[in-house]
Amino acid sequence: MISCKFICQLLQFIVFFISGTNTDPQSTTDKRKTKMYEQSSNFDPAMNLHEEERGIIGQNDVVNYPHENPKIAAMEMELHHQLNLEIEHCFNNGCQQINNWQVEQMNASFNLENHHNQNQNQNQDPIFNTTQYPTTTDLLNIFPFPKYPSLLSNSSMSFSTHNKNSSNNNFLASLGLMGEINPNAGGDGTSASGSVIYDPLLPLNLPPQPPSLRDLFHSLPNNYAKNGGCSLFGNVDERDNNNNHGNVGLMYQNDNGVFEFTATGEIDCVGKNRDGKDIKHFATEKHRRVQFKGKFDDLRKLVPNPTKNDRASIVQDAIDYINELKRSVAELQLLVEKKRCSRERMKRPKMENNENENESNSLGNLESGSSLRSSWLQRKSKNTEVDVRIVDDEVTVKLVQQKRINCLLYVSKVLDELQLDLHHVAGGLIGDYYSFLFNSKICEGSIVYASAVANKLIEVVDKQYAAIPPSSSY
Amino acid sequence: MDKRKKTDQEDNGVDREFISKNLEAERRRRKKLNDRQLELRSLVPIITNMNKATIITDAIAYIEELRNSVEELTDQILQMEATDENRNTKNEDININDDDHPMKIAEVEVNHICGTKIWIKIIVQKKRGRLTKLMEAISVLGFHLIDICITTSQQAILFTSSAE
Repeated sequence: MISCKFICQLLQFIVFFISGTNTDPQSTTDKRKTKMYEQSSNFDPAMNLHEEERGIIGQNDVVNYPHENPKIAAMEMELHHQLNLEIEHCFNNGCQQINNWQVEQMNASFNLENHHNQNQNQNQDPIFNTTQYPTTTDLLNIFPFPKYPSLLSNSSMSFSTHNKNSSNNNFLASLGLMGEINPNAGGDGTSASGSVIYDPLLPLNLPPQPPSLRDLFHSLPNNYAKNGGCSLFGNVDERDNNNNHGNVGLMYQNDNGVFEFTATGEIDCVGKNRDGKDIKHFATEKHRRVQFKGKFDDLRKLVPNPTKNDRASIVQDAIDYINELKRSVAELQLLVEKKRCSRERMKRPKMENNENENESNSLGNLESGSSLRSSWLQRKSKNTEVDVRIVDDEVTVKLVQQKRINCLLYVSKVLDELQLDLHHVAGGLIGDYYSFLFNSKICEGSIVYASAVANKLIEVVDKQYAAIPPSSSY
Repeated sequence: MDKRKKTDQEDNGVDREFISKNLEAERRRRKKLNDRQLELRSLVPIITNMNKATIITDAIAYIEELRNSVEELTDQILQMEATDENRNTKNEDININDDDHPMKIAEVEVNHICGTKIWIKIIVQKKRGRLTKLMEAISVLGFHLIDICITTSQQAILFTSSAE
């Protein structure tokens, strides 16, 4: 989500600049500047500085990116270089005082502007240039980055926007500069902190450990993978491989708000060469597998009686549960219908069942009678297993419980509650377990549905078991 | 899907046997899983893609849906029951009152089998709640029921049990 927002804003930002190049009057840009200042929430010192600059620079309107003037280009490069040095400086000092850095940055730009002003006072273009930088950083301030890394992202942002709008030469040069700096900044291609171009930024954000970076990248949507490689390792390789594609990939690291731009182009990216595809496939494949496993776990959680933990049985349990749910739904729908029918005083077809002919009749009744209701449920708990089958009127309950306490009493109570007339009961002690089979009939007019029966039985039995330890030592 | 490799034995032939057995087992396992997944897919009405991951995703969604409809229906039924209860409670009260009358016991027979086991046979008039009372009585007496058989026919309940 955050990356989408960022991209939108980036696009806006770019459009802003592009549109900025097209309009002339001073007032509009001044208005824009004020807008920018208002929108920027983070950097007050910046704003102060910029107001001063505005006073100095005054009537300049256009924020012009394309630089035909080589001098301007040189200035830009200088500024870039300086900013890079600032980054490096920060990195080297383990700089955490962002404000200081920013002030330095402002100073740097300020110095450059002064430099500009000294050299070319009459020339409008450099002034355009100088306005560009403060406004760049201003616009960058607009983006709602979390405060501490935003400066870092500012620098990278400026490079990227510069990238988009400037000529190739400058881009090359700036990247070259970046390339220069990288080895110094400790670009370590193999480390998980991710090396290559924008490395100096990353080490500053090392506290979130590399695995999180990796996970984060893995969790990015696939679009980003296509653009710039969403895996750490893939990152490196994408840049290596996509040198000629001219992609600009964006990655937004959620924890830190650091932006990494995998700016590709015709430049050879600085970075170690690896087997690009293998690493990328490894990462995405692993991601896929992890997700897959997660889904199996989700499925397992849904099922009421999970047995084994391996995939095949999870699927089997799911199948059974789906069937059971379908039956329950059908049963309940029938019940609702019946209720409505009985409300309207229509007589149901009577099914006559003697207890002796239970099974055969119920089977026969399955074919006859459109409103026959049937359902079957199984529920297991730690000590008990309940199997409830309902065919129209008849409720057949099979109960298996561990031999601890004779629960017949409670079971019969429950059956009474549910208004089931016991027809037949058989059961007893078999080895370790008590096993009972209850055949009962539903009273007319009562609403009983299978899951209710099962749940109540289990509830009661478990309650008794829970009550056992304090009372008896059997 | 992990591929487990068996540790090597000395012989190559034995190796191959193990590996092929393992291969076979693995193939069967995968086949089983795939068959079941197919079955799952056949149950679920909504199918988006046909790959493994979406089978499971769709199944999850379908289960959720079914669960929700079950809940809905049960709520509906409870509601309907609540409205109907007012009509029916009176009848039930009458029934319960009848039960309070002393029960007619037709026959009781107790035989001693062997050791501590006895055999009980009771014939009672059929009313709701009889079993409960019976069980209460038995538990009060401290018998463990070994096995039970209860049948009803018309108005009578026959209760036979061996207990100790």
